[in-house]
Amino acid sequence: MADAVCRVLRDGALEGEHATSLTIYDSVDSPFGPVVFDYIFTHLSSFISSGKSQSRGIVLVAFSRSPSFTSELLRNRGIDIGTSHEWLRVLDCYTDPLGWKERIKDHGAIKTPLTEASDNVSLCKDVRNLNHLFSLILTLGKGLVEDGKNRFAVAIDSLSEMVRYASLSSVACLLSNLRSHAQVSSIFWLLHSDLHDTKAVASFEYMSSMVANVKPLTTENIDNFSLLEQNYKRGHFHASLKRRNGRVRVMREEFFIDNSLIKFTSMVAAGENAVAQSLVPKVQFNLQLSDKERNDRAKVVLPFEHQETGKSVQIYDGRKSGKHESIVVPVEEVKKHEGSGRGEIIYFRDSDDEMPDSDEDPDDDLDI
Amino acid sequence: MASSKVRTSSFSRKVPAAPTSSIPGLKYGPNGTIFLSSGIPDLDKILGGGFHLGSLVMIVEDTEAPHHMLLLRTFMSQGLIHNQPVLYASPSKNPRAFLGTLPATLVSKDDKSLKSDSEQKDLRIAWQYKKYLGENKPPIEERDGKVEYCNDFDLRKPIEKHLIAGNRVECVSLLDHSSLAGIRDSCSKFLSQLPRYDGNITSAGRFAIQSFCAPQCEYYDKEWDMLSFIRSIKSMVRSSNAVAFITFPASLVSPSVSKRWQHLADTLLSVKAIPDEDKELATLLTGYQDMLGLLSIHKVARFNTQVPVILDATTYSMKLQKRRSLVLECLNQAPVDGSSGSSYGTSGGCSSSSNTGGLDF
Repeated sequence: MADAVCRVLRDGALEGEHATSLTIYDSVDSPFGPVVFDYIFTHLSSFISSGKSQSRGIVLVAFSRSPSFTSELLRNRGIDIGTSHEWLRVLDCYTDPLGWKERIKDHGAIKTPLTEASDNVSLCKDVRNLNHLFSLILTLGKGLVEDGKNRFAVAIDSLSEMVRYASLSSVACLLSNLRSHAQVSSIFWLLHSDLHDTKAVASFEYMSSMVANVKPLTTENIDNFSLLEQNYKRGHFHASLKRRNGRVRVMREEFFIDNSLIKFTSMVAAGENAVAQSLVPKVQFNLQLSDKERNDRAKVVLPFEHQETGKSVQIYDGRKSGKHESIVVPVEEVKKHEGSGRGEIIYFRDSDDEMPDSDEDPDDDLDI
Repeated sequence: MASSKVRTSSFSRKVPAAPTSSIPGLKYGPNGTIFLSSGIPDLDKILGGGFHLGSLVMIVEDTEAPHHMLLLRTFMSQGLIHNQPVLYASPSKNPRAFLGTLPATLVSKDDKSLKSDSEQKDLRIAWQYKKYLGENKPPIEERDGKVEYCNDFDLRKPIEKHLIAGNRVECVSLLDHSSLAGIRDSCSKFLSQLPRYDGNITSAGRFAIQSFCAPQCEYYDKEWDMLSFIRSIKSMVRSSNAVAFITFPASLVSPSVSKRWQHLADTLLSVKAIPDEDKELATLLTGYQDMLGLLSIHKVARFNTQVPVILDATTYSMKLQKRRSLVLECLNQAPVDGSSGSSYGTSGGCSSSSNTGGLDF
């Protein structure tokens, strides 16, 4: 379902909505976050370069890869680098994030090689100033698509690096500003979940409309080497999408790594009852009536209801004993039915020396 | 026997007539409390009349779903329709943009309330005292044609422009203030316009904060500051004629702070997202297709009384009726397949509701 995630990023946001945003999590147990990031980045790039997406360009904020890596990656995946200056801009925060090389160069202490002079790549020398970073991203993006209705996408290579340089709330502020900017169509970022506390992880999840989690196959403490090895080649990919109707779509896939290429396969559904059970603590039986049931109920004839109308009513009382008289004389009828009935009187003698004359039916004495 | 006169026996239940409020939008309740409507008729009914004036209402958000915005919207729209002053604070740079998404009232041909009343008239009792039944019917609430206490909102139609024009709604952005002192000042200024005296009330106000602990805010790390802010809001609201309505995503603050926060609330509600295309849930609940999400009621405010409210059900499903108005329904279990024999813990619900029914004297 990684392709579904790519499609949502491709389709972007509607007018007036916040940009769709994706968080990719991984951890040391299954460190394939960057691979998934590359997969999504290349897919989105191919959509953008072929004009199939809402965004006309993509700005990559690279904290943990050099720009040459990106061009290599695109070339390997078969995306035309030649036209990349039309739709790709890279903000290089990897080479010299705090401006140290600049300062050392000024002092003449070392001779640094020329940084890549490419028209795609801009260097950022102060990543601690997030306002400056925000304006840089916007200028790059607007340079790609020109002002107006056109939109661009933003990819942040590693948010973990960014959070290292700046406070959590300022990073969150930057992300929310990007999301609410009218020209940003979609934005996605990578995060290593075990480097941050739960509050940070939860706040980035809060700001994303999709969350993708890269998990290992098995999480137990494994002594079995072969199983451990499996974790280095395969894993689970969990994605949850927040849909526009307010519901959450959860998807699960397996993936395996083959020569730094990742392939997704669908998973055999394990079936989780936990969610359903936790949501339904005390559920009553349905006591409401549907329309059909209401109509049927209206047709039922209740006994004694039409007492004063004097009509005769057919009452079904369980015994198919022919026609009943009207209800005006209900009492005698009931008794008669009871008397002529199935009841029996069983007589137990008190003692054996009673005169054996009482075996006859005591009613015989009556003169009727 | 003609029964035109009112039959009074020595055992007739004496229901003290509640004073009808002259101010639209306020309702007098038992024990000298006054209610404001939440904007959702079903919710008002569940809470026993609405939100208490002077109370603090907390909504625990679910990070996966925006249902708290629905509650916020109906709350604010109801206030605007009743001409009550509204203060709205949100962690966005332009909070005024949210006002465009407030819903307008539903104009419908068939009134929902009439339907329920006629159903009661159709109650057929199979006994011969039907002719005496007419006197014992409970008095039906008079529906003033002009202003209703709680309106049905059409969530697809935006509110009329004149209601949000000008400065009727005061908007504050939580991003403008690096510390909470600035926000507290604007709140106290707003609430000081609505002081509470023992005499008659002239007006009541509504005060809403959306996503109070959003990570964009600069005070996000200062959890104890946020708690003391909430506490001061609670005390300010208690001594004024207003209802404070705060939503916050509980998973974004540490668990102990979140618990303390929830305890500070007078009325505590929470919303929860439901998974999409979940076959398990579809077989478990009826009406799963129409459900937007779940609303749980954890705490209901009780002023001037020691008697708590025990609800029949605490979790309701939120649905859109005819895609327009929000209704809350009890969760109903779908018929369980007889052969399987297992049901998901339903016995508790049925027996407890019958118990509370028995206590109703």
